[in-house]
Amino acid sequence: MVRTACVALGAIVLLSCSASKSNQANAASNSVAASAESRTPPKLTHDQALALMKQRNENMKAMGDAAGKVGKSFQSGNPDLNVIRQAAAQIASLAPKVVSWFPAGTGPDVGKTRAKAEIWQKPEDFASKAHDFSQAATDFNDAAKLGDMNRIKVTFGAMGKTCKACHDLYRAPEH
Amino acid sequence: MRRSTESYSGRVSVRVWDLPIRLFHWLLTGLIAFSWWTAENDHLDWHIWSGCAILTLLIFRLLWGFFGSSTARFASFVRGPKSVVRYLRGSRWDAVGHTPLGALSVIALLLLLSLQVGLGLIAEDEDGIYFGPLAHLVSTDTSDTARDIHALNFDLILALIALHIGALLYYRFVRGKGLTLPMIIGRARVDAPVQPMQPAKWWVAALCLAVALGITRWVIAGAPPFGS
Repeated sequence: MVRTACVALGAIVLLSCSASKSNQANAASNSVAASAESRTPPKLTHDQALALMKQRNENMKAMGDAAGKVGKSFQSGNPDLNVIRQAAAQIASLAPKVVSWFPAGTGPDVGKTRAKAEIWQKPEDFASKAHDFSQAATDFNDAAKLGDMNRIKVTFGAMGKTCKACHDLYRAPEH
Repeated sequence: MRRSTESYSGRVSVRVWDLPIRLFHWLLTGLIAFSWWTAENDHLDWHIWSGCAILTLLIFRLLWGFFGSSTARFASFVRGPKSVVRYLRGSRWDAVGHTPLGALSVIALLLLLSLQVGLGLIAEDEDGIYFGPLAHLVSTDTSDTARDIHALNFDLILALIALHIGALLYYRFVRGKGLTLPMIIGRARVDAPVQPMQPAKWWVAALCLAVALGITRWVIAGAPPFGS
């Protein structure tokens, strides 16, 4: 009952500011906004939360490593389309899920994470930045499938900017 | 202790550090500060350029250590443990340039900075957005490890810088020697007779700089094989 009300409230808040966004991102950001606005205790058990945070970290690292392989492939002066396609597909498959990796109760107060508490204080902005990334990852993957190197380069660069836009605000330093 | 005060409040002004060494010192100071700031504030693109500039400085300094003015030459200040011990026991030291103990700190800083630049050249950031110019020559794991050591090594560099500043303060307030001004104006007041710095020719410095810039350019290009 309470949960339904919260989801409805979150949906109203979000619909008013993100009508143009894709359904997927809306659904994801709704759940974040809803759990952040309701002050109900996290539904995840401590172990579940830690497992999710660990998985999230591994997924993020997988995407970073994949992007790194693309960057190095370009840097070598002899880019390998197969390497790029594989990396682009991997990133594009994970990118739409990013928001779902950050439910309430998986912040720095729960366990070791570089995710900043601001994620749950500004859930709409976070969801919007994650959506930008997801869109950019799709563009990059489309370009990789087509195989046009110039287009791949441009979309890869644009995607990097969306990674950075979110990390600069919502990720704590490594050391 | 009195001898030091005497020798530095002397009436004779002699050349100690040449212009290339002073420019090297203060440009390096500025670039280390800038590199630190850019690393802490998510400006890795500027950070990489700053590192490349430091690479140029370090190559220049290496060459200047062989072909430069007397006080810049490694042969004039890289000494064995015996002279360091003798200096620590308080034996007279009147020559201009690095003291045997100060030389150790200079060598340690130059080595750690070279290691730092070398690690930066092959590192990549964790998001796979920014790469040192030679990162493509190594694996992702190696780049990640290089980045981790790059971060740890910077703490060592900071510690050496703290020691450097601590030594300056010690000489200034305990032994009455101001060491900062000579690094700015290149001259110090000493008692005669002291062998002053023997300057090298300006065109040797220009040549060393040209070589340093050439090597840096080649590194930035990703170290392509010669002839390609």
